[in-house]
Amino acid sequence: MKPKILISSLTGCSGCISTLLSLDIFPQFLERTKIIYFPFIMDVEEIEECDIALIEGCVSEDSQVNLLKKIRKQTKKVYSIGTCAGFGGILSLSKKRIAEPVSKYIEIDGVIPGCPPPSKLLGNCLIKLIENREIDVDIPKKNLCATCPLRGEAEENFQTKITQINPNPEEIIPVEEDTECFLKRGILCLGPITRDGCEHVCIKEGLPCEGCMGPVSKSFFSNTINFISLIHLSKKIRNYDGIFYRFSKPTFKR
Amino acid sequence: MLKIVDVCTRVEGHGKVKIYLDNKNEEITQATFEIEAYRGFEHILKHKKLCDLPKIISRICGLCHASQSIASCKTIENIYGIEPSEQSILVRKLLMTGELIKSHSLHFFFQAFPDLLRIFNIHQKILSPYAIIKNYPQLTTIFFELIKIGNEIDKIFGGRSVHPITVIPGGVIYNPSKKNITLARKYFQKVLMNLEVVIERFIELFSKKIPPEEFMIPNPIFLGMHNHGIFDRYSGILGFKEDNKKITNFIEKNYTNYFNKDIDLNGIDFSIGNNILVGPLARNHIVESYDIEEVSNFLSVFDKTWYKNILFTNFIRLLEMYVETFKALELLNDPLVNKNESLLSLTNIKNMDGIGVVEAPRGILLHHYHLNKENSIDQIKLFIATEINIPLINHMITNYAQKLYEKTDIDTIKKEIQLIIRAFDPCISCATH
Ligand code: SF4
Ligand code: SF4
Repeated sequence: MKPKILISSLTGCSGCISTLLSLDIFPQFLERTKIIYFPFIMDVEEIEECDIALIEGCVSEDSQVNLLKKIRKQTKKVYSIGTCAGFGGILSLSKKRIAEPVSKYIEIDGVIPGCPPPSKLLGNCLIKLIENREIDVDIPKKNLCATCPLRGEAEENFQTKITQINPNPEEIIPVEEDTECFLKRGILCLGPITRDGCEHVCIKEGLPCEGCMGPVSKSFFSNTINFISLIHLSKKIRNYDGIFYRFSKPTFKR
Repeated sequence: MLKIVDVCTRVEGHGKVKIYLDNKNEEITQATFEIEAYRGFEHILKHKKLCDLPKIISRICGLCHASQSIASCKTIENIYGIEPSEQSILVRKLLMTGELIKSHSLHFFFQAFPDLLRIFNIHQKILSPYAIIKNYPQLTTIFFELIKIGNEIDKIFGGRSVHPITVIPGGVIYNPSKKNITLARKYFQKVLMNLEVVIERFIELFSKKIPPEEFMIPNPIFLGMHNHGIFDRYSGILGFKEDNKKITNFIEKNYTNYFNKDIDLNGIDFSIGNNILVGPLARNHIVESYDIEEVSNFLSVFDKTWYKNILFTNFIRLLEMYVETFKALELLNDPLVNKNESLLSLTNIKNMDGIGVVEAPRGILLHHYHLNKENSIDQIKLFIATEINIPLINHMITNYAQKLYEKTDIDTIKKEIQLIIRAFDPCISCATH
């Protein structure tokens, strides 16, 4: 029996869905599954029983909570696709709207992170899911520094003065063998508190990490505090909004 | 007063149709296409650093992310009074072409094509992708490939297929290697071959038919960008025109003479009239030439009844992909495309207002940022294609719903009017910025 799939979007940009539709394996995915609900590409009415639900976008309205509960009830496994659904995403910057991860309202079986998730990662996960195998990407194992191509050996009493959050255009340099870690150059990089998996696309282009893959551990809040305690942020940066919660809302729950 | 609500399917994002009836349920007073859940980007972006804007703004839309970032960069460059290098402009254009291929193809294959088959009585019940795959295997293979290639092109030139990394205020930080130029060329050649097949198929299936009247646009005012009359989505001036009348041109800086908005209210106010249309069909009326010979041959196959019919947009989408791919191949041959140019520094603010415009796949996208005395952004206005088209959509679906109500029931009507909505290819993510 082909697994029955439901794909639904909450508040987001459809970038995750458009990534899914352009995957190499998307034709194969269609063939090996039975999509029963996917309003972006088909006419649908009611939510029926299904095996796997993929949710894009954050929760920003009451009606979405009801939809999620309905989905949870009818579905064997529910996954958050992308940083919005996984951790709140870009709307975390908003002071007016709520932007919550799906997991705040229903139990989920995993997160496929990224804004949007890298194609390879998403494709591999989907294949595993239709073969009824576990996806383990949601277990944050490493931060981005662990495999970073830049030079930045850990030093004792690592103290660095951060004065910039973006390099000036004329300072952007392509990565070479001995390019130094951004933090050492006084530029904020969120690598230490961001999960691995993006293949360092920004860093390779000469830009620091902004955290779009989401937090490296469930204790994002304390991790961030630890990180901030290790670096010295200039006053201007300290007063600037939305560096650390650009893609994830910190939870204060203990 | 009775109100009937239905959720739109096969459109990007969450939209609803609402049908309002009079007290006696005898007449439909109005039908509307409604989008809710505004995300408030115009508020979120206030007092953000200029360099951060393109990266945040691209998250408004996962389909026209490149257009959003590029419009944002052009706006910031206007504030600094700088012009990016030729090399940067070439890469930006290639990125926009990748985006156009993916966005138009997704819409055509999943959203428009099943409707066309139904409207022209070719196939009544092709509503799931499985049915298209079964009945149109060749087109399926072609469109999956087009979507994938659009995505790959953006990965090459944007550093990431959605939400580009390489586009920054002052230029782009990407210089394509010989290998990537060759790869991109192969991709574009493949796209051209595929599009030739699709365009022929489209002509064969639909060109001899008469498009239904309810899809005719009543007294449209077309608004779009052109570069000395030639199709160009990156640089040029704006123009609007009524059918058969002369075009009125203006530069983006003077947009407030024609339209404006209050960011706390929905919608855009136009002083030039109602029924403004932006997007592929509007561009088709605004430009004098696509600068490619084949295109006029393709267009001449259709008779005049098509020209002001919103269904014609579907054909124009295919043409636009064809034209841009053709031009992209020329851009790749330009020695400037991988010329090493240093990036411009962003030091002196020259203008307290920055305005930038591009033609996104769905039409005009204009950004306006205003700086206060501390050089911090205190006002942002984003003019987005779908938002511009909504009054016209509402006008057309109201007319159609009223006409249908004379002979059919509400349940049918709420499905039928969605055919019109989908033909516009609304992007609700964008419209709910
Ligand atoms: S995670 Fe990123 S790509 Fe996905 S919906 Fe959210 S903003 Fe768009
Ligand atoms: S802080 Fe950034 S640049 Fe430095 S090692 Fe970590 S990921 Fe790499």
